[in-house]
Amino acid sequence: MRTQVTAAADMTTPAATPAGTPYASAVVVAGLRKSYGAVQAVRGVSFTVSRGEIFALLGPNGAGKTTILEILEGFRARDAGRVEVLGADPGDRSGGRALRERIGLVLQDIAVEPYLTVRETIARNAGYYPAPRDVGEVIDLVGLAGQQRKKVRNLSGGQKRRLDLALGLIGNPDLLFLDEPTTGFDPNARRDAWEVVRNLRGAGTTIMLTTHYMDEAQALADRLAVISDGQIVAEGTPATIGGRDTARARIHFTLPPGCTAADLPVDAMPAGGLVTVQTAEPTQTLHQLTGWALRQGTVLGQLTVDRPSLEDIYLRLTDHGAPERRPDNTD
Amino acid sequence: MNITAARHAPRRDVGLLWHQIRYEQLSFWRNPQSAFFTFVFPVVLITIFGALFHGGGGSSYFDGLSALQYYVPTIAALSVLGSCYSQLAIVLSMRRQDGILKRVRATPLPAWAYFLGLLAHCIMISAIDVALITGIGSLFGMPLPTQWPAIALALVLGAASFCALGVAVASLIRNSEAAPAVVQLVLFPLLFISGTYMPIHSAMLNRISSALPVRPFNQALLGPFAQHTGFDWNNLAVLAAWGAAGALIAIRRFRWNPRPQ
Repeated sequence: MRTQVTAAADMTTPAATPAGTPYASAVVVAGLRKSYGAVQAVRGVSFTVSRGEIFALLGPNGAGKTTILEILEGFRARDAGRVEVLGADPGDRSGGRALRERIGLVLQDIAVEPYLTVRETIARNAGYYPAPRDVGEVIDLVGLAGQQRKKVRNLSGGQKRRLDLALGLIGNPDLLFLDEPTTGFDPNARRDAWEVVRNLRGAGTTIMLTTHYMDEAQALADRLAVISDGQIVAEGTPATIGGRDTARARIHFTLPPGCTAADLPVDAMPAGGLVTVQTAEPTQTLHQLTGWALRQGTVLGQLTVDRPSLEDIYLRLTDHGAPERRPDNTD
Repeated sequence: MNITAARHAPRRDVGLLWHQIRYEQLSFWRNPQSAFFTFVFPVVLITIFGALFHGGGGSSYFDGLSALQYYVPTIAALSVLGSCYSQLAIVLSMRRQDGILKRVRATPLPAWAYFLGLLAHCIMISAIDVALITGIGSLFGMPLPTQWPAIALALVLGAASFCALGVAVASLIRNSEAAPAVVQLVLFPLLFISGTYMPIHSAMLNRISSALPVRPFNQALLGPFAQHTGFDWNNLAVLAAWGAAGALIAIRRFRWNPRPQ
């Protein structure tokens, strides 16, 4: 059973919409622009976050990620474009209370009253929502069970960020915004936080996060958009973004002693001490190379075969003069 | 926490306000600085004055009143200034700088509930402080006042007006580290020329300070406290005008975001 509303009817609706819910996508952004003085922070950004997915906005510092998130959260006014969050305009404060009851957010800076305990801080925010989650359950979920009677000022930096996450979750939101949620976490804390985020998606929460960690986007996101210089330069899934799935494989090895790249049976590019061969047919090319080496009675040292990592794609997309736009809506 | 009332909107809002007041109180009493300087300081001051001037009769220096009859209302006024004006100006600018206000803005808590909760919290702290100061005054022989309605009105109006001025100052301060200094810089000379620490016998100075907010508040309390007169409408009107001006600035200029857009 699907309820469609004219404003959202032109949007793709991949997820089944529960009956009576008057919006199709959790977040719709179209032609968004924002300038600070002469600086254009966001230059015509469009994307859609479907209900129930984890969507990541990946980009370097200063690319405009936080500005976009703050516009969606209602903290900043936009200069141009259309924005819908759970079917409502976050820039319209008159409907703000109803909207804020259904979204949760975790900002970059830690901001909590220092003299309350962990439990008191969470219980206070729980009182702001019509149907909050259980305080004890949320404390367990973010891994603060042993710290609930501790004053906030005595928490470590990582524990304060967990508390922040707890405050984002306590209202039992339909949509959760996470602004660089694991910056400053140690590797174990990051794994735990990722697990929490995945479990939330499993329970039906839509999650939109920003990050500049490739592995985070890779581990969490169902879909992601790479943003650079205020514009989206690629959009897709972690496996396909930037043509990653169709990109040519790369074979690296060291040249045998006494050989030059010109001696090889295929085209190769020397780089550092290694040579790199790019190929669309890695099985065949590898056979040619190893056959050649065996016939020569030599070896290909440090031989590896890989494809561009998400990091390679990201660096290629964000380190450039003129951004190339590569929409990749294969899902 | 009143989650059971969640579905019923008006009852839920009342519950929300009470919830907010409770947590403001908790934050206040847990913070040693606010609890000491805001709450204990005026109590210590009146105890010292009580010990110093114990049993003194009326004197022309205090316009015919005993020293304690003079100091109990002015120190009571001082405690309201500390609980309302100073506390709000400092706490709000710090909360804004730390991003706590931005975070509050992200919750469904309506702005009116946040500010009404703070106002009620400040009035409660003021009321306890004034009751303690009056009690200590009577221990040192000051006769208890009889004009309670006039005192109550002056206290509530004073607390509300100085809360509004506190929020106004917090709206104008950009840097929270400057907040305590700015608050004291404004308050300290004003207290002196308004007769809080000693009576002022300069007609010109009194004319000036009568148009500023502190002296009208002192006078509106001095009458019913010490002379058993009723409502001091002129001074209450000046106080209310300052409160309205403060509220106007607060509404126009208050920012939740630590950094301007």
